[in-house]
Amino acid sequence: MKRFLSFIFVFLISSAAAAETITVAAAISLKDALTVAAKQYKAQTGEEVEFSFAASGQLASQIQNGAPVDLFISAANKQIEDLSKAGAIDDSTRKVIAGNSLVVIVPPENKSPPDSLKGLAGGKIKRIAIGEPRTVPAGQYAQQAIKHAGIAAAVKDKLVMGANVRQVLDYVERGEVSASLVYATDAKMAGEKVRVAATVDADAHEPIVYPAAVVKASKKAVAAKKFLEFVLSEKGQAALKEFGFSPPPAVAVKSPK
Amino acid sequence: MTEALWQPFYLSLRISALATLVALLIAVPVAYLNARRRYWGKSLFEGLIIVPMVLPPTVVGYLIIVMLGAKGLTGQFLNRWFSYSIMFRMEGAVLAAAIVALPLLYLPARAAFAAIDRELEDLARVEGANRFQLFWHVSLPMSMKGLTSGVMLAFARALGEFGATVMVFGIRENKLTLPLSIYFDYTDNNMGRAMPAVVILCLLSLAITLLYNRSALSRQT
Repeated sequence: MKRFLSFIFVFLISSAAAAETITVAAAISLKDALTVAAKQYKAQTGEEVEFSFAASGQLASQIQNGAPVDLFISAANKQIEDLSKAGAIDDSTRKVIAGNSLVVIVPPENKSPPDSLKGLAGGKIKRIAIGEPRTVPAGQYAQQAIKHAGIAAAVKDKLVMGANVRQVLDYVERGEVSASLVYATDAKMAGEKVRVAATVDADAHEPIVYPAAVVKASKKAVAAKKFLEFVLSEKGQAALKEFGFSPPPAVAVKSPK
Repeated sequence: MTEALWQPFYLSLRISALATLVALLIAVPVAYLNARRRYWGKSLFEGLIIVPMVLPPTVVGYLIIVMLGAKGLTGQFLNRWFSYSIMFRMEGAVLAAAIVALPLLYLPARAAFAAIDRELEDLARVEGANRFQLFWHVSLPMSMKGLTSGVMLAFARALGEFGATVMVFGIRENKLTLPLSIYFDYTDNNMGRAMPAVVILCLLSLAITLLYNRSALSRQT
C-alpha cells in the first residue's frame, strides 16, 4: 500500500522537462498552415513551437488575463486592437501574416453556377447561406460584399444565417442551400464536397487579414519575433498559400476605423 | 495507445487525481467539523462549498479568472510580485476540477461523520483518546465507506470538467485533457479523431459508477 501510494505521489508531482519553446496563440482557422510552418521552422532552426488554437476572441481574453503566450496571431484586427489598447502587446512587432478572400461556393452537382457575386440575384439561386454578420467575421465581409455588388435587396429574402463558417459550409455540402459565401481557405479544405463558382473582389469588403504581434509580457520575445519572421519569409508564406491563404494585403495594417 | 490519445489520458488522470486530493483535504476536516459543531455562518459556509454542484462551470471559470488572473483581485498582486498568473497552468485546471468535485466529496463525508454512533466516540474519549486519536482511529475508519464513495464520485466529476477548464487552462495542442481534446477535435472539424477519447471517458465513467454502486450497496447489507 505504501509503495503504491508513493508511486501515485511521484506520478502526481512529476512534470515534463520544461524546454525552451515558445507558445503561439493562433486563430483556429490557421491550424493546418501554422502546424506545417512550425514543422519546417523546427527543421531549419531546431526550435520548438507550441500552439494554442482557439477562437481569436477567446485567446485575446486569455492573453489579457495573463496567459503565458509569446506570440498572438488573430483572425481579425479587432482582437489585436483590443490587446493593443490594453497594453498587452508590443505594437512595434505588429505584422499582418496573411490575407484571405471570399468565394462563392455551390454544391458540386450544380454544373452551371453563377460566375460572379451578382449572379446570386438570379432566379436559379433559391437560398444563400452566410455567417451571422453580428458574430461571424466571414458573415460580416459577406454582407459588405453583397451590398457592394448592389444585390442586397434582391437577395434579402434568400439569405440563411449560419452560426459559424462550418455550418455555412455544411449547408452547401448537404445541398440545403444553392450557394454560400465562405473564405477561400474553407472552400479549399472542403475539397471535392463543394464547387468554387467565383471569387469576390478584394475591394468589395474590408480587407480580410490575419495580424500578429508579440505579447508584451513574453519572456521569449526574441524567439517569438524570430518565428514571426519565419512565417513572413518565403517558406512560411508558401505553407500558408498551400492552404488557400493569400499574401498579406498592402493596405491592411491599420484598423478600418 | 497513440501519443495523441495517451497525452490527454495521462493529463486527465493527473489533474483529476490531484483535484480529488485537494477536495479530500478540504472536505474531510470541514465535514468532520460541520457534522459536530454549530457556529455562526455555518449554513452559508456549507452553501458555498455545495453551490458549484449547480453552478454552470463557466461561472466557476469566470470567478477563478477574476480572482487569480493577471488582473484579478488577488491575482494582480501575485502577478506583480511573482509574475504569476493562473492562466494556462496546471494549478488552474486542478483548482477548477477541485471546486466542482468538492461538493460530491463533502456531502457523503458529512453524512458519514454524522452517522457515527456518538456513544462509541464517547467511549474512546473515556478510554483516554485525545482528539486526534479519536479522529484517526475511530471516526475516520468508521466513515471510510462514505469517504470512498465520495472520492469515486469526485474523481469522476473532476475527470469530466470542461467549462471552467477551457477558460482557465486554455486549449493547447499538447496539453489537452480528454474533454478538451474532444472539443478541440470538434472545432477542428475532425469528429472521427475524437472518438477514442469519447469511448475512454464513457468506459471510465461507467466503471466508476459501477464501483460506486457496488460500495453503496454493500453498505446497506
